[in-house]
Amino acid sequence: MADYIHPDVLVSTDWVAEHQNDPGVRIVESDEDVLLYDVGHIESAVKVDWQTDLQDQLVRDYIDKEKFENLMSEKGISNDTTVVFYGDRNNWWACYAFWVFKLFGHENCLMMNGGRQKWIDEDRPLVKDVPEYPVTSYTVSEVNESIRAFKDDVMAHLGSGNPLIDVRSPGEYTGELLHMEAYPQEGALRGGHIPGAANVPWATAANEDGTFKSADELVSIYKDDKGLKDGDDVIAYCRIGERSSHTWFVLTYLLGFENVRNYDGSWTEWGNMVRAPIEKP
Amino acid sequence: MNIEEIIEEFQEADFQETLAMLLDYSEGLPKLPEEFEEARDTGYNRVAECETPVFIFVRLEDGKVRLFADVPEESPTVRGFVALLVDAFDGSTPDEIENAPGNLINSLGLDQKLGTRRMFGLSAVYSRIKSEVKKAQRIQ
Repeated sequence: MADYIHPDVLVSTDWVAEHQNDPGVRIVESDEDVLLYDVGHIESAVKVDWQTDLQDQLVRDYIDKEKFENLMSEKGISNDTTVVFYGDRNNWWACYAFWVFKLFGHENCLMMNGGRQKWIDEDRPLVKDVPEYPVTSYTVSEVNESIRAFKDDVMAHLGSGNPLIDVRSPGEYTGELLHMEAYPQEGALRGGHIPGAANVPWATAANEDGTFKSADELVSIYKDDKGLKDGDDVIAYCRIGERSSHTWFVLTYLLGFENVRNYDGSWTEWGNMVRAPIEKP
Repeated sequence: MNIEEIIEEFQEADFQETLAMLLDYSEGLPKLPEEFEEARDTGYNRVAECETPVFIFVRLEDGKVRLFADVPEESPTVRGFVALLVDAFDGSTPDEIENAPGNLINSLGLDQKLGTRRMFGLSAVYSRIKSEVKKAQRIQ
């Protein structure tokens, strides 16, 4: 049986229970619902919200370097802290936060396999008290945009023959749905997919309990079925870049692809853009 | 509190206070009366536009609106907002609900504080309550 290429990036709920108070470790909860953490969270965990903390509130972009530095020092995270992410919805938002932390060059990022639901299913305790940590000094030396694709990068990618992975549901990919079922606020004016993109819904990579599928299963899905080859330059997208950060995580850390970018503009940009090429089966 | 007083309170609140108020509301949402459970379990009265399963039941009793709702505890933001509406409007007259501000989410400052991407579902819930009240009046 094959193993993940970077298995060390995943930790178990057991590991978190044991190490959550280690001085060099900070647990970060990132959920879709901004209040879910406040209902109850892992005792030592701090909250990082994908929208109010990580996104710029005016321009469609992430916060800048200074704001990220301030956020880190408020949360008691230093440059050498090992940050362990977990969250709701099979770690979608945890993967999104993980990706944003990598964008700002944070070195030691880990993911709690199975996320919030697994922790709860195992009857582990949740608390409401928000922990406080001493303010740290944090420096972003370089923003790592090699993991982020912009629309022009995607345009350039189109003609190059390199793979694009559309991680939305089949209905969104074929253009029958203009938005993800039950998420009408993230719609687009046009339906379909970026020409040449292969459809691999993100959840294909997850087990029922929210943990990641085995290395053998992932190889079979992405390499055997969809033809990804070692060394490929891959761009993944969805509608706003959150489901595709889950796939970015799988391809980068579990399958070991070294050139994977997340197109965070995704379908809410592409499907609204004048003259953007679209393919419909 | 009536809706005007609630708006005033939210307008004075900062981000953390807003979250705390929504959480209080969320925790205080009355349990859905048993008589509506069957309808909920078969999917009736779900607000389709909201990604969270929100169920709203409206009926008129002696000229007053009775409002009942069910929202999962795992969606505290939506649950808190729905509980706020139940608190403000259960027992109101249909006219009071019809005349309540159309841009409530904006008046409460929720779009500014929680981010616009989260607001669509909430507006759908609010519109649904207004339209259910009108429907209940027509049926009567």
